[in-house]
Amino acid sequence: MLADVKEMLREQLEFRELLSQMIRRDLLIRYKQSVMGFAWAVFMPLVNTVVFSVVFMRVAAIDVGMPYPLFAYCGLLTWNLFAGALRFSVISLTSNTSLVSKVYFPREIFPFSAVAVAVVDSAVGAVLLVGMMAYYHVHPTWAVFFLPVIVLVHVVLTAGVALLLAMSNLFYRDVKYLFEVAITGWMFATPVLYPLDGVGGTLGVVLRLNPMSPVIDAYRAVLFRGTLPPTAPFAASAVIAIAVLALGWLTFHRAESQFAENV
Amino acid sequence: MAQPVVVFDGVWKKFRRGERHDSLRDLLPSLARRAFGRAAPRELDGEQEFWAVKDVSFEAGAGEAVGIIGPNGAGKSTTLKLLTRILRPTRGVCRVTGRVGALIEVAAGFHPDLTGRENVYLQGAVMGMTRADITAKFDAIVEFSGLEKFVDTPVKRYSSGMNARLGFAIAAHLDPDVLIIDEVLAVGDMMFQRRCTERILSLKQQGTTLVFVSHNLAAVEMICDRTLVLRDGGAQFWGAPKQATAVYYGISHERSKTAEGPQSSRHGTQEVQIVSVRVNGQESAEAMAIKSGDPVELELRIRCVTGPRQVLLGFSVLDAAQTQVFGENGSAKAKPFVLETGAEVTCRILIESLAVPEGTYSFTVAAHSPLTAEIYDWQDSVRSLSVDLPDDPSRNGSIGLLTRWTIERAAADRVPQGTAQ
Repeated sequence: MLADVKEMLREQLEFRELLSQMIRRDLLIRYKQSVMGFAWAVFMPLVNTVVFSVVFMRVAAIDVGMPYPLFAYCGLLTWNLFAGALRFSVISLTSNTSLVSKVYFPREIFPFSAVAVAVVDSAVGAVLLVGMMAYYHVHPTWAVFFLPVIVLVHVVLTAGVALLLAMSNLFYRDVKYLFEVAITGWMFATPVLYPLDGVGGTLGVVLRLNPMSPVIDAYRAVLFRGTLPPTAPFAASAVIAIAVLALGWLTFHRAESQFAENV
Repeated sequence: MAQPVVVFDGVWKKFRRGERHDSLRDLLPSLARRAFGRAAPRELDGEQEFWAVKDVSFEAGAGEAVGIIGPNGAGKSTTLKLLTRILRPTRGVCRVTGRVGALIEVAAGFHPDLTGRENVYLQGAVMGMTRADITAKFDAIVEFSGLEKFVDTPVKRYSSGMNARLGFAIAAHLDPDVLIIDEVLAVGDMMFQRRCTERILSLKQQGTTLVFVSHNLAAVEMICDRTLVLRDGGAQFWGAPKQATAVYYGISHERSKTAEGPQSSRHGTQEVQIVSVRVNGQESAEAMAIKSGDPVELELRIRCVTGPRQVLLGFSVLDAAQTQVFGENGSAKAKPFVLETGAEVTCRILIESLAVPEGTYSFTVAAHSPLTAEIYDWQDSVRSLSVDLPDDPSRNGSIGLLTRWTIERAAADRVPQGTAQ
């Protein structure tokens, strides 16, 4: 296993240029193919924020302990990093058939570049978040320095799931459909648009197993509340994230030699 | 040869025929079967597997060029994919030392929406070049491709030839230790092909090891030091390129003989049939041996099964790669003619001098309607020729031309003029 890990890291180092070129490619294509280009990164969560603001402020008002648009936009932006990265990853191998079957390089490049593109999108979207914080007079405190740790855990978890999904969809093409169903369900089980702290009983226990919830909550804690995220749940998420990435990457790496035959 | 750079030792590669479980719909029933122990899945697997490469061994030292030839489906591309690590061998050892550059499909990494310039960087990275490398060689790459005016055009507007030229240009500037090439010399126009060949030869001189798959046997003989002939996944021959191409000619001849069934080589309505094809008076499946420049007479006997039919005859000369060297129909010289049911005619076509380079050639003959172009009888590669160069030390070059020399002395000499043929 140690040999595998060594090889995995060496290959990534050797092909780091390709990863950056792939990310560039995906960003360039996005920018060229759509009129709005990167504006979509802001536009999509913004429209959803407006819609859900109407729902949760006027139709079924809830108290989230902060201006609702801020709560929702932050939730959608960070959730989109996860969901968007996975949406591109799941088809990343099967939509690059000619590269997978005709050229050799570590295949992790595909899901990794999908994750990186989603990170760039979120960074663009974050510009509006800063504007909204100024508008609602929410001032960051020293807790904001913890933000990189949250992003890291978030990205590690996303990359781990991305590897597993990309690989599964290569062998079983149904995975991309199952994924669409699962990701919608997963979103409603995560405090993206509403808090889930109050849920008790069996459902509450199940919801607390969701490793994405502490991550999404952590962003709000450090950005808006000026506090560090609750230690235990966040640490658990971090451990799960590392475990998922380790598992995902190892299985991906071991299955890699069969990709060209099955793509 | 000190240390072999490319080692391919007793390699076997197994593939599954047809589709694997590609969707869960297929997986779930098969899992269920396995769980309940019905329908022995082992036997089923055995039927669906086949060996694409069977116990193949070869090696190449630094600066050596190895050619791989063989008919379609012989395992050539699989061998290259094993060398480039895209596939892993089922059994055996496949080892390549040093930086590998692979030209399996030159434009595999291109994205249609990106410009030529952007694609050079992308494809370069795909092939393992660093950004600095590409920047340093960018101008040379573009110059080699001859696409200076189009670098900022999206490649979706490129022709397939332009695509391939740009792809090859990038690969040619890779400077790898081992360059693996799959049939890329077939791209671009003649000028570009010559530049590719020159580039490959100069890389070889610089010590790059080449592994080269091609149907262009002349290129293989020119570039390669040793050649592997594959057939149905097995190695048929490993050694000198000249002998290798001879072995390959033998295989393709054998194939054309065994494939002489009506489905594969013959089609048409059979309302008019070509009942016999003679070459220089002989009706034999064996290749007729001639010298380049010799005359060849083709004799076709035609019978009309359901008439009346207007008939136009035609023939083609194809080379070993099945490329048409020459083709003609009778519209200018024989005129279409009408045949009643049961009528038979014999048509003789004299090729006064078949001045083609040495190699194996075949005749394809056809009888069709001059009006509707409907084919009555079409027979692919019915007869073959093996053409050698004339054994004449006074002659050079790749073909034998029919020449006539005349020497005229000044009138004062009063010697009759001499002619020679």
